[in-house]
Amino acid sequence: MSHAEIDQSQTNVGAAEASTDPVLVPADGTSSLPASRNRVLDALSFRRISAIYILVALIILFGLWVPDTFLRVDIFRTMLDAQALTAIVAVGLVLPLSAGVFDLAVGASVGAGSILVAWLLTSGGLPVWPSILIAVACGLAIGVVSGFFVVKVRIDSFIATLGMSSILLAAIQWISNSQQILNLPADFQKLGTNELLGITYPTWMMLFLAFVIWYVLERTPTGRKIYATGGNIEAARLTGVRTGTVIVCCLAAGSFMAATAGILTSARIGTGDPTTGPSFLLPAYAAAFLGSTQFKGGRYNVFGTILAVYVLAVGVKGLQLAGAPIWIPDLFNGIALLLAVGLAKTQAGNTRARAIRRVMSKQSADDGHAARTAH
Amino acid sequence: MNQPLLKVSSITKTFPGLRALDGVGLEVHGGEVVAVVGQNGSGKSTFVKILAGVETADSGTVEARGPDGTYLSGAAARDELHFIHQDLGLIPTLNTIENLSLGSNDGRSALLPFRTRDEVTVATRLMSEFGAHFDVTVPIVDLSPAERTIVTIARALSGWTRPDNVLVLDEPTASLHGDEVGRLFHAIRRVRDRGAGIIFISHRLDEVMDLADRVIALRDGQVVADYRSGEFDHDALIRVIAGRKLTESRIERQQPAADVVLTVEDLSGASVRMANLAVRASEVVGVTGILGSGREHLGELIFGSVPPDKGIIRLAGKMQKTGSPGRSISAGIALVPGDRKAKGAVMTMTVKENLTLAHLHPLRGRAGQLIGSAERQEVKSWIKQTALRPPDPDRQVSLLSGGNQQKVVLAKWLRIKPRVLLLDEPTQGVDVSAKAAIYELVARAADEGSAVLMLSSDTKELTMCCDRVIVMRDGVVAAELVGDEINEARLVAESLGLPHLGDESPLIPQENSTYVSR
Repeated sequence: MSHAEIDQSQTNVGAAEASTDPVLVPADGTSSLPASRNRVLDALSFRRISAIYILVALIILFGLWVPDTFLRVDIFRTMLDAQALTAIVAVGLVLPLSAGVFDLAVGASVGAGSILVAWLLTSGGLPVWPSILIAVACGLAIGVVSGFFVVKVRIDSFIATLGMSSILLAAIQWISNSQQILNLPADFQKLGTNELLGITYPTWMMLFLAFVIWYVLERTPTGRKIYATGGNIEAARLTGVRTGTVIVCCLAAGSFMAATAGILTSARIGTGDPTTGPSFLLPAYAAAFLGSTQFKGGRYNVFGTILAVYVLAVGVKGLQLAGAPIWIPDLFNGIALLLAVGLAKTQAGNTRARAIRRVMSKQSADDGHAARTAH
Repeated sequence: MNQPLLKVSSITKTFPGLRALDGVGLEVHGGEVVAVVGQNGSGKSTFVKILAGVETADSGTVEARGPDGTYLSGAAARDELHFIHQDLGLIPTLNTIENLSLGSNDGRSALLPFRTRDEVTVATRLMSEFGAHFDVTVPIVDLSPAERTIVTIARALSGWTRPDNVLVLDEPTASLHGDEVGRLFHAIRRVRDRGAGIIFISHRLDEVMDLADRVIALRDGQVVADYRSGEFDHDALIRVIAGRKLTESRIERQQPAADVVLTVEDLSGASVRMANLAVRASEVVGVTGILGSGREHLGELIFGSVPPDKGIIRLAGKMQKTGSPGRSISAGIALVPGDRKAKGAVMTMTVKENLTLAHLHPLRGRAGQLIGSAERQEVKSWIKQTALRPPDPDRQVSLLSGGNQQKVVLAKWLRIKPRVLLLDEPTQGVDVSAKAAIYELVARAADEGSAVLMLSSDTKELTMCCDRVIVMRDGVVAAELVGDEINEARLVAESLGLPHLGDESPLIPQENSTYVSR
């Protein structure tokens, strides 16, 4: 919002408030030009896309620091592939977060998808595709059950999904006897490692799923209803949004994505590993929170989340190549998350306070003027 | 006790578009209950806020007598005042003892264990000093509203170093029932008899008569009456409070059509018991009543966001399923809720997103996507019709002024061309200019055929906008006023259950007239 536009509009308050005359048309017309220029500037501001600037800065930093090992195409290709699964989980997480609920069971859902598909392929003796379908359906079911507890039983989502997570972890141990499931079929393993146009299947999968979720959230009425539910559930309900359905579907879609990531994990390492799931939880949340500070000013969104996954990955990879100790990735992720979200909070507060001050000072000046002329 | 405990002189406060207080002054002596009465918007709450230091007065002084008899001002004066707000500020899950100890600092280390038995004895004794006898170890939620208020009073008093401080009670009876009020008054009298000065803010006149030694009436930010005990009588006071020459003309509209659109039969639920009413097409029907009369829940019950216990709602004669906002909306019933921030708008979303949320279906393209250009065009037209300021569809609603936020909520519902438009306190927290715009929009919706039900405690807006006003008392429809019967004095009188008042036209009492106690 530009100064020009506020000033324009405020001078008209007295005249146009009560009537609906075309008095406003000139105000619209004259202010549209500077407004659009300002929108572009705003979209490119550090506040909006800090992660892109940080990404560039990191690449330059490590490019100068460890050029021989860092500036290589294969490093970036491995990173793209390695982080695709985290990105799938994080993007899936955007849905429940946008609808205003937490899903702490995403990590366990990854594990459940991973171990279930491995078990079906080996002990279950099922062919590849039926195994995958069952595992994916199980992912959906996990979300529906969580949704049932959140919506119908009215347990806080934080607690409901924490409970679900614990139950799933137990189920994983039970199915796998707490042991790795080895010797998965080669056909299945190909899904995790084969390439198309030089990019691995999991990466394509990530891009496809991210596109679908982006489309739903940003371009459809459903997306509006999801954001409205997350923004103010009572107002959304009173506007006719079926908030319960929205929450259940978002949790189901999020678990579906997590289970998909789990299946791809098993395919990539050729093993069903009962310990793999929980390690996805924190990176996925870090990326979703960090992503919410990008582009949309506080709203969880798909692009921001994917960007955040890769910014964190570049930082960690660079530090590893520069010889940093093994605990550096955790430290880096934590600091980046706190800094980015903290900065976004303080900046949002400032912008808001400034806007209110401008409007108020202008308004009281107008009123003073009106009162003087009236007397 | 000839020196007042509190001296307030000529306080003036102006908000954008509103002179809230205009030269208000009063004095409070020890052992005296001063009631401040007035309609919504008369300046009562601004007065309290200035006393409490939440707002700063443009001019005027607040002085309180300090321990040594000299007068203090500013923050030092506020230390001599003790406030009990409508929202009592108790922690509901903690018990009386715990709530009492939160405010106090008795010099014990924060880490030493409580001496439970002593505390129970002390707290019980404290409560009985106010004539209250209840278990001090149960959580506050399990107490009655009057008991809660008494706990708050006790907590406020526990900070006093001497008995002659000033206690300010802001609408303490709003959530109480008849006999509960009696218990609270008993406690207040005990405090007064100890030598305290009490300011009692209320809009319930009948109670004030019982309690007050002096009544000060505010209207439009000015003191319009200052009566001592024995000087006032009901009728005069009501006229003084409501009395206002009708400077604003009624909004002229065409006559309502004959066909009844909304019929409510025996509706019960929340504070409503067996309400019956009907609204015709193009008719604006007002509903008023004090807090607790059922007025505040009627809209949500009809709309279905609060499911009714029983009752039938008909739309053009056809029975509607109750208790579902979604079905109400598709049947053409819209509700502009009273609490804009909590229920009306999604504050974190933009004007555009809020405006179209109720009815996104027609904006959908073939791939299920929202057609951005169509949406933008439609939103722009609504922004123009409502004269929204600033006229920016992409502005977050939380950044708009209250009046403009309300315009967005109203436009959201007008957009679906509702057959029934339910408005709950449509202009609460809205500045004057936006009020006019909102009345205009409501009138236009009615002209286009909507049946409008306006639930409001603002008698002025009811006289301006309504063809008919229904007055609710104790959950039922108590009176119905049509045409010339709709004036502010009559509405106030009916709301309080004093229907014999308000018929006569001279609203302003003569200067120097004497008032005889009944």
